[in-house]
Amino acid sequence: MAYENLAFLIPLLPALAFVITFFVGKKTPYGGGLIPIFAIAASFLISLLITIGLLQNPDQVISQSYHWFAIFNLGILIDPLAAVMLTMVTFVSLLIHIYSVGYMSHDPAKPRYFAETSLFTASMLSLILSDNILQLFISWELVGLCSYLLIGFWYQKPSAASAAKKAFLTTRIGDVMFLAGIIVLFADLFKLVNGIIPEGVYLLRFDEIFSFIPEIAAMNATILGFEVSHLTIITLLFFGGAVGKSGQFPLHVWLPDAMEGPTTVSALIHAATMVTAGVYLVARTFPMFIAAPQSLIIVAYVGAFTALFAATMGIVMNDLKRVLAYSTISQLGYMMLGLGMGAVIGAEAVGVSIFHLVSHAFFKALLFLCAGSVIHAVGTHDMRELGGVAKVMPITAATMVAASLALAGFGIPGTSIGSTGFFSKDPIIENAYLFGEHAGNWFPYIFAIVAALLTSLYIFRLLFMTFAGKPRTNYGGHESPASMTVPLSILGILALVFGAIVVEPFNKFVNSTFVNNFVNMDIPALAEVGNYELVHHAGQEPLLILWMPVIVAVIGLLIAFVIYYQKAIDMSRFVSKDNSVYKLLYNRYYQNEIFTQLFAVKFVYEGLAMAGYHIDRFIDGIVNVISYLIIEAGDSFRKVQTGVIQHYSVAVITGVSLLVILIKLVMEVF
Amino acid sequence: MLPVLSLIVLIPLLFSAFAFLTKTREQARVVALMGTLITLILTLYMYFSFDSSSAAMQFEELASWIPSLGINYHLGVDGVSMPLILLNAIVIPLLILFTWDDVRSTPNRFYGLILAMQGAVIGVFISLDFFLFYVFWELTLIPLFFMVNIWGGPNKRHASIKFFIYTHVASLVMLLGIFGLYFAAWDQTGVANMGIAHLMSQFPMIGSGIARDAIFLALLFGFLVKLPIVPFHSWLPDAYAEAPTAGSVLFILLKIAGYGIFRVILPMLPATGSPDMMITILGLLGSVSIVYGAFLALSQKDLKRMVAYSSVSHMGFVTLGAAGLVTLSISGAMFQQFSHGLIMSIMFMSVGVIQASTGTRIINDLGGLATKMPKLAVIMMLAFMASLGLPGLTGFIAEFMVFTFSYMNVPTFVILALFGVVITAGYHLWAMQRTMFGVYNGKIGKVFDLSNVQTFSMAVIALLVLYFGLNPSPVLDMMITGSNEIVSLMAAMGV
Amino acid sequence: MIPLNWYLALSAIIFSIGLYGFISQKNGIRILMCVELMLNAANINLVAFSSYNDDMSGQVFALFSIALAACEAAIGFAIMMSVYRMRDSINLDELNLLRW
Repeated sequence: MAYENLAFLIPLLPALAFVITFFVGKKTPYGGGLIPIFAIAASFLISLLITIGLLQNPDQVISQSYHWFAIFNLGILIDPLAAVMLTMVTFVSLLIHIYSVGYMSHDPAKPRYFAETSLFTASMLSLILSDNILQLFISWELVGLCSYLLIGFWYQKPSAASAAKKAFLTTRIGDVMFLAGIIVLFADLFKLVNGIIPEGVYLLRFDEIFSFIPEIAAMNATILGFEVSHLTIITLLFFGGAVGKSGQFPLHVWLPDAMEGPTTVSALIHAATMVTAGVYLVARTFPMFIAAPQSLIIVAYVGAFTALFAATMGIVMNDLKRVLAYSTISQLGYMMLGLGMGAVIGAEAVGVSIFHLVSHAFFKALLFLCAGSVIHAVGTHDMRELGGVAKVMPITAATMVAASLALAGFGIPGTSIGSTGFFSKDPIIENAYLFGEHAGNWFPYIFAIVAALLTSLYIFRLLFMTFAGKPRTNYGGHESPASMTVPLSILGILALVFGAIVVEPFNKFVNSTFVNNFVNMDIPALAEVGNYELVHHAGQEPLLILWMPVIVAVIGLLIAFVIYYQKAIDMSRFVSKDNSVYKLLYNRYYQNEIFTQLFAVKFVYEGLAMAGYHIDRFIDGIVNVISYLIIEAGDSFRKVQTGVIQHYSVAVITGVSLLVILIKLVMEVF
Repeated sequence: MLPVLSLIVLIPLLFSAFAFLTKTREQARVVALMGTLITLILTLYMYFSFDSSSAAMQFEELASWIPSLGINYHLGVDGVSMPLILLNAIVIPLLILFTWDDVRSTPNRFYGLILAMQGAVIGVFISLDFFLFYVFWELTLIPLFFMVNIWGGPNKRHASIKFFIYTHVASLVMLLGIFGLYFAAWDQTGVANMGIAHLMSQFPMIGSGIARDAIFLALLFGFLVKLPIVPFHSWLPDAYAEAPTAGSVLFILLKIAGYGIFRVILPMLPATGSPDMMITILGLLGSVSIVYGAFLALSQKDLKRMVAYSSVSHMGFVTLGAAGLVTLSISGAMFQQFSHGLIMSIMFMSVGVIQASTGTRIINDLGGLATKMPKLAVIMMLAFMASLGLPGLTGFIAEFMVFTFSYMNVPTFVILALFGVVITAGYHLWAMQRTMFGVYNGKIGKVFDLSNVQTFSMAVIALLVLYFGLNPSPVLDMMITGSNEIVSLMAAMGV
Repeated sequence: MIPLNWYLALSAIIFSIGLYGFISQKNGIRILMCVELMLNAANINLVAFSSYNDDMSGQVFALFSIALAACEAAIGFAIMMSVYRMRDSINLDELNLLRW
């Protein structure tokens, strides 16, 4: 069909919008906002058409490859996984752009803002539809660049410039691991084809990579005395990249600081672009992870730990946006956990995890846009100064409640009643239960369930402190303009009903990602490569387990209600500088001190760089000493020139005589 | 047919003489611009009629010069040299435009030296005779020495003499190597011949392994000092930092050492006594330079010295790629030379503008310049991003190719070098944050943004960085052909 | 006919006298005279060999050498004159401005 040929326009239109807006943005309507909106809307339409086409015929995966340079290609791959991601990203990004027209209306640097956000979107779209790992990496880096530019959008603020730098550097650590993974992978592939690459074959294309999985898994390397499969190394390095981009422990430190940018940028980063890239990477290369069970387990552990770890910090933050930031980290942990559960249920894990990704995108974008709406109206994001906002901003408050219900995952198991988050998060927790039962390892499940409790607690704490009760300070305020409330309402409705409607077909659709005309992976066979067996999900968990996530969510809601609405429990004993648990949480486990002060400043800068500085002084010193010695030698040697002509003549005569004798001797020898 | 190669060397040298004879700044710069533009046109003509799929020397010119010593006037280009000639021909006219409005003493000499430099550097790239090669090689020293010595910073005398003596000593060692090779080949064949290709082909025939190693190491030393590579780099920060902006850019365009490694060192490598050890030396020095240069750049307080050290770091990729020994790693190293020339030109121009505008280069004394110098901020950001290896810009293509393809031969060194990548990002962002972002430092006083000619010349280079980053094939394809030829020479050499 | 060795001996004696004077004297004029002696000793050699080998080129060289010696003497004495005007002495030990 014709629209397949338009696939290349999906990233190209926003990229063009970037160029136009960057150079002549001031002269276009809405401070440069209109062109990006139209471009992204067009991308959204194309994505939607392609998705619908794919839904009707899941075998018609779009795959186009073009030669780029040397033996690498650029290409487009739109399979079910990419299609849903494309649709989600363009849709959320479109709403955020529309919302931004209102939100950024007072900022003089609007054209730059819209240029950078459209480049951000373009990079993310190009990341999603790459058909090879190199193009994915390139877009991955461009996404990082845009986040750097946008977090540092108000670059005059030192804290913003510093947060931008931190985000770029932290993710860069992950990026280098990702790059290392690509390098190792390529070397293995190159070896497997004996260095012979026919014209038109691109080794880094996903279908080529996947076709060599068993061979790569059979290659072993010995690291620190352990025998490790190359596939495990490669997947772990890829996951290292995902850890950086998706804010998993321990590289999550940049994400809360990323709040320094405009709130819309936070929404873009946390919902549509950037952080989901890591999850997408793992999902995209999922067949590799399936054949490397150790990596998959590590993905699950890191995800589960991050989910809980971030949630604990979420409950003590007082900044509206920071609570949401920790919530994002926590939810990303769930997505990683969901992918890690592929160790039990195989490719279905991708569907479950990506569904959580999409539903999270909706309600997290909504949460941020609501927060933005509040901040826009009242000018502060400290929850202790707010309260009773619901009276001033009813639409915002209503949508916020919808988003919170989705985040906490309210719903009734066994029926099709429930918020989007219920349908997306609960399967992950149930899979963790299945994993516990199967592997006898209950950590992921326990972490996930405790995190669910904390999630509900912190989000309702936020809701009660901000929207309920009486204002704690004098803030003016008004409901936001339509350009802001309309996107809010659309997202609010989606957060409530999207899950119930699409969960079944969605999972089925995404699960067909690895079996189609592009790749045809036998997932259980890959599990055999990794020496384990998959369980076939039958949904026969005890009723209690099905209800468990909802029960803890309700408990969380009740605790928040009692403490922050009724104020029945005095929290001042807990919330004080003397309480070491509170201090630990409030100071975010001293990560900032450890990472920035101890590692970056003390170790890398003052330690290594300054050591290098002194070594360099030493090397330079050697050069200078050599030149000094030569000068000194000349200085003492020149005393030979006495200025007495007779001395010179004696020297000449002696020299000539010696020369004659020497020649005579030499002549006699030969 | 037009003797293009002779022309692109002679025209800059001729115009250099004209420039020396001019009386005023206006005349000097017009003469300089004309000379470089004619060179550019000729180079573009050559580039577009160049057959990038052919490994043979093209536009070859051969005339006898000193027959009794076997010295010929022999010129030619192939995929190894063409991109570097193009780089010089493009950047130098832009450099002259960049300095268009600068007021300085004796402008006639200034522009005369720039032109002389262009002729000498292009001469090195197209010489196919070792004698001619060495003549041009040494000729490049003179303009750079005077550039630093006359228009340099406060420490210019020390820096210029250090640079001159250090690299000159290395060149002399290299000359010894050339003579060793020349006389050994003369002994074997009974024919005197200074031709590079001839001497290369005779190298494996030299009987004694020690002699081969000595010749190889002498040549290698000459190239490594000029490149430069740690630990022979200590002339570089002083020279780069003390040179005027135009001088720093000329230093950057001095890509002759890397060229020598591809043209001379690599084909000889398999025939040395212990090729494995030589590869280890190249790879180790390369990756150490990458990491070490990055740490040193991080520790600098002076923006220009930081950029100078980042140049050391980037040069590590050249030897690391060379140590990879496969076609694509060598092409990656060649592309790194090309890309580095473009990127660092903008970096040094940016630093020059900052210094001229604010009167300081100390990073901590700057701050918030982006508000006052938006045009510079955008271009400088692009250069910094390219320098830290952001995809979509030239730096990434080179780094990616070097890493990926060297990994197959020298994995340990590639892994070591990867650590440098994070540090590289660190010092670039740190410098960007301290100079461009944050609150505008009121102590700096009134600053001015780029003038129109400056914007033009920097923007053209920036667009090239972007263009070749998105579409490297126009130069990369000929580099691949060139490195293929090198690899086949190496295979023929392997005993 | 007088044997060649006699000429060579004469030449060696004159050369040695010249050399001795060149080393031992301090007066500039004397040194110049000693240089002339050494040159003439060489000339004798040239002429002697030329005559014994029946090759005229030796005599031609001797003529060259004499002409050169004349020039050298003229310049040498001129320098000595001007040195004497400036310093009131032609003691070469005192002319050591360029030492070291």
